[in-house]
Amino acid sequence: MAPVQVQRLTCTRCDTQITGSFPLPELLQLTDDELQFLLEFVKKSGSLKLMAEQLKLSYPTVRNMLDAIIGKLNTFSDTEKKKK
Amino acid sequence: MKYLFNPFIRIAGLRSLLLGWTAMLLTAAIAYFSHCHFDGVLDAHVGPGGEPAWVYLLEPALSWSCAVIVFYIAAVAVAPSGVRFIDIAGTMALSRWPMLFVALLCFIPAPLPEEPSKIRPSLIFLGLAMLVFAIWMIALMYNAYSVSSGAKGTKRLVSFIIALVVAEALSKVLYYLLF
Repeated sequence: MAPVQVQRLTCTRCDTQITGSFPLPELLQLTDDELQFLLEFVKKSGSLKLMAEQLKLSYPTVRNMLDAIIGKLNTFSDTEKKKK
Repeated sequence: MKYLFNPFIRIAGLRSLLLGWTAMLLTAAIAYFSHCHFDGVLDAHVGPGGEPAWVYLLEPALSWSCAVIVFYIAAVAVAPSGVRFIDIAGTMALSRWPMLFVALLCFIPAPLPEEPSKIRPSLIFLGLAMLVFAIWMIALMYNAYSVSSGAKGTKRLVSFIIALVVAEALSKVLYYLLF
């Protein structure tokens, strides 16, 4: 599937609508599981050790999961930069 | 089955180090009685026996140390983010646990024949069984390296092969100098 883009932005106060083609924020391009992982990671104050305990996985496995998300976010940033 | 080849998804660090050391200690104890020598990172040979117990303790410890040092250097060189020494040390220790079965296999009497035509079936069985456990150990080492370093793709495979060859060579040189 091609990247999804936002077509319309609406002001919740005055109902002004802007139509165009806006890229989704980088975080919203992640999958539900990846977002859930990031949410839990922030709630755990960025502790990989606590994340490993919660997910019942080893420390390096959790670090690799985080690295994969960072890699994905970097790819999104690079793609956006190239478009500009 | 997945955890038989990659337990490191769940176990790494100090926990895997303690488990690995326990397995290595048990292996050394069995090897003392079955006269099995682990004289290299990938080596296992049956000897005549008679060596003191410390030899059987030192051999797997030296093999493990060589693997840890070389694989840690390789992991630092190719890892996308930080590598913890304890992860490499722990997962590499646990990777050696199939050698416990090799030490047990060495109880099977399989004398080397004077002529190749007189090879006994027990010797062929012993050789093949040892090979299976050695392949299992290499698969574990590869997964240990993958999880601990976080490296991916060709870089991971190439650095693993180079590190394995270097670790094996280093262990052989150290054995030659020490024993």
